[in-house]
Amino acid sequence: MSILANRDTRAVIIGGVAGVNAARRMAQFDFLVNRPLTIQAFVYPPEAGQQKEIYRGGELNNVTVYASLEKALEENPQINTVLIYIGASRAYQSAKEALDAKGIKLVTMITEGVPEKDAKRLRKYALEKGKILNGPSSIGIMSAGECRLGVIGGEYKNLKLCNLYRPGSFGVITKSGGLSNEAMWLCAQNGDGITSAVAIGGDSYPGTDFVTYLNMFENDPETKAVVIVGEVGGTLEEEAAEWYGQEVRRIKLIASIGGTCQDVLPQGMKFGHAGAKEGKKGLGSARSKINALREAGAVVPETFGGLSKSIKQVYQELLQSGVIKPEPELDEKLLPTLPPSVQEIMRQGEVIVEPLIRTTISDDRGEEPRYVGYAASELCEKGYGIEDVIALLWNKKLPTREESEIIKRIIMISADHGPAVSGAFGAIIGACAGIDLPQAVSAGMTMIGPRFGGAVTNAGKYFKYGVKEYPNDIPGFLSWMKQNVGPVPGIGHRVKSLKNPDKRVKYLVEYVKGQTTLHTPCLDYALEVEKVTTAKKDNLILNVDGTIGCILVDLDFPEYSLNGFFVLARTIGMIGHWIDQNNQNSRLIRLYDYLINYAVKDERAVPDKK
Amino acid sequence: MAKILEGPAMKLFNKWGIPVPNYVVIMDPERLAHLGEANKWLRESKLVVKAHEAIGGRFKLGLVKLGLNLEGAVEAAKEMIGREIGTSVVRQVIVAEMLDHDEEYYFSIAGNRDGSELLLSNKGGVDIEDNWDTVQRLFIPIDETPSIERITEAALKAGFVGEIAERVAKIASRLILCFDNEDAQSIEINPLVIRKSDMRFAALDAVMNVDWDARFRHADWDFKPVSEIGRPFTDAEQQIMDIDARIKGSVKLVEVPGGNIALLTAGGGASVFYSDAVVARGGSIANYAEYSGDPPDWAVEALTETICKLPNIKHIIVGGAIANFTDVKATFSGIINGFRESKSKGYLENVHIWVRRGGPNEAQGLAAMKKLQEEGFDIHVYDRSMPMTDIVDLALNT
Repeated sequence: MSILANRDTRAVIIGGVAGVNAARRMAQFDFLVNRPLTIQAFVYPPEAGQQKEIYRGGELNNVTVYASLEKALEENPQINTVLIYIGASRAYQSAKEALDAKGIKLVTMITEGVPEKDAKRLRKYALEKGKILNGPSSIGIMSAGECRLGVIGGEYKNLKLCNLYRPGSFGVITKSGGLSNEAMWLCAQNGDGITSAVAIGGDSYPGTDFVTYLNMFENDPETKAVVIVGEVGGTLEEEAAEWYGQEVRRIKLIASIGGTCQDVLPQGMKFGHAGAKEGKKGLGSARSKINALREAGAVVPETFGGLSKSIKQVYQELLQSGVIKPEPELDEKLLPTLPPSVQEIMRQGEVIVEPLIRTTISDDRGEEPRYVGYAASELCEKGYGIEDVIALLWNKKLPTREESEIIKRIIMISADHGPAVSGAFGAIIGACAGIDLPQAVSAGMTMIGPRFGGAVTNAGKYFKYGVKEYPNDIPGFLSWMKQNVGPVPGIGHRVKSLKNPDKRVKYLVEYVKGQTTLHTPCLDYALEVEKVTTAKKDNLILNVDGTIGCILVDLDFPEYSLNGFFVLARTIGMIGHWIDQNNQNSRLIRLYDYLINYAVKDERAVPDKK
Repeated sequence: MAKILEGPAMKLFNKWGIPVPNYVVIMDPERLAHLGEANKWLRESKLVVKAHEAIGGRFKLGLVKLGLNLEGAVEAAKEMIGREIGTSVVRQVIVAEMLDHDEEYYFSIAGNRDGSELLLSNKGGVDIEDNWDTVQRLFIPIDETPSIERITEAALKAGFVGEIAERVAKIASRLILCFDNEDAQSIEINPLVIRKSDMRFAALDAVMNVDWDARFRHADWDFKPVSEIGRPFTDAEQQIMDIDARIKGSVKLVEVPGGNIALLTAGGGASVFYSDAVVARGGSIANYAEYSGDPPDWAVEALTETICKLPNIKHIIVGGAIANFTDVKATFSGIINGFRESKSKGYLENVHIWVRRGGPNEAQGLAAMKKLQEEGFDIHVYDRSMPMTDIVDLALNT
């Protein structure tokens, strides 16, 4: 048997993420004692309509989030309990609605920091309605073997250690949440465990009190003794003592009261829960509570550590008098084991999961990203630049100083080529149409292909092939290209020619050959090819794509990475164009009709549809 | 509970029509001279200057000066501002009009479980404790406002007569309004004075506590609560409070000078029982500390380092109940880092550490703590099978 919560309890949680976490813990208990899910609904307007995934053991349940308590109860009339996990500023309204709702008998509130006035009004309201408002600041309610409301009881392992899968003979009432768990453990270790445990919360004006629950326990035949854990402040413990002393009670009472230290502390120095404040003239002091309880016949040890012995002593007495009949203990091995998550069993090395992807360049699992093992901040600190990061992430090695200078120059000279080229023009049209940066730049980016900027990879690839297969036979290479590929990528320019050379090509070639010690077989080969092609036609020069492609091959970048240099470099320019258009607040553009040759049919009538 | 200073309390009284003397709060004595040019009362009334700080026993410390003219008040302000009292510095003074008066009354209101209670006496002032039996009480249930007739009746019973009784009742009804609407927990006005020649009333001194948890619905609360521990907060306490305000869960610290047993305990309930156990066994605590609600490990680390620095400590009690949801492994990793850091800075020499804890990931947390033995810490680690506060007995028996 139990008080407050039992196998018939069905609850709704009002609140967001903390409530969902609590529901998950509660479902673990549901699994342990093999009962249906306790939490049947959530109420949280910002997430109304969503479903929350709650595992009861290995069984996945989707629990609906409602916009209002009314709606949740309308669709789930079986709900009889409300758990409040919402913030302090909205807790009063939520609790009041819950107390108003038909069919709701118990409202328990974990919310901390609820204004005293609100708590007092809620207590009064609950009393008027004849309902129970447990909390604020309550960790929850536990009925062993039957129901768990809130995260009381802690992790799954602890539920078993405290024998919470089956009822015992002790009731527990505490102000503190942490100590409710401790008290349940003490009852399991020194007695036969608990029937129910309730945390009433450590605020100044909790919705209920010790006496409320002592009466319930007195009327619960399975409960033979009750452990209460109180503290300095208020008069709830004195009232409990008075209740216990009033008449002969069936249940034994064991109590521990915190706050005796405040007798000897400097005046005014108070701490602990909000409610743990001594009143004027020693009213509500821990000592007066202890004395009152002892006078009423309760067992009150001197320290909390002494509670173990007190529980054991009472348990032994109850066994000897035959009030408690020892029952054979369940074999714990028969209890269900919580299915672990994949992560948990992987950590224990008991399962192999084939990875979905593999990476060899970057690791984000530490305090900061590491590129091929090097911490980004350390690279910065040691004077490396963006060109070194490019080489690391694209080619997995740190370039030499000479190499990184070349990479830097390639990026710099390729960064932009005016507004007229396809990429920039695409980005500009996007910007003028009011498109955001990433999308407008992507519009420019989609232009990169065989006719615009996309020749770097192929140039590098085929010149590399030539170096390998036709090292001393340029005509042989050219005829192979003609037969198998077509025009040589990287050769030829629309406007530039021998007489009107591309300055960028000239600069790059001179820089690489004149100012570095780089061995450049591919570039040399391409220059030889250029000599042959320009002899045929003036504009069949080695263009910038070809030059870059060859240098990058000589720098040992993989062929398929080469277009990346153009893409990266030109992104800088296209972002610039997008920003420029936005700065000017450019208007939407469309082509003038005089720029279009409308080579279309004359106007004619639409024939009837056949 | 949040005690507020006189200045903010006066402002709230003013808002609700409770008569207060003219007053100003200043940080700069020169400002007072300028204010004198603008305000007749500063030039013409007798003034009182009080340190506007949470310092107990201000009178004895010379932080209250009475019967001054403006010049004297400026001098007194100069003297007080910047004075160091223990660990705190006087930064502000409140300068108020000293009303010549004929009688002193006592007014207070305090909350209880069922509502609040109004206390009235016509024998207020310093002797109120001696005249406690003259105090008239009026219980006010939650959400009820007593009629002016009922308050007047109480005033008459308290010995007020005639027009004064009527005026007193009116002020009391405003006090009730102020109490209710400002989420006050207690207001004590002693004395409320009267100058009969012009029937002028004024609350000369007041102590007000507001419910700091209700601040979300008081946009005009432009003050901060003052220390509730009978003295201003120390830097270490302030630092932990600042962390507390930023995190999920909480960390708390109160220093207790002179003690030699430091507490690094978990949970609002359990931590008090640990303090009790130390006192019950004849020990003396060097502090009260608490971390709860699964705070981040760095916050627990900061709390640990602060506690390790407490002077003359012999033992540290790392105690706690079996946590419901505070991760023992994570919070202990904060404590372990704090211990290591402190040791490297030369703290923790000859300090014995006693650990008892349970809860989520307890096995890993306790094992990690135990490993500190290998690093030369004098640390004793116990699991849930050790009764909670018995590590205090072990510590005090060494």
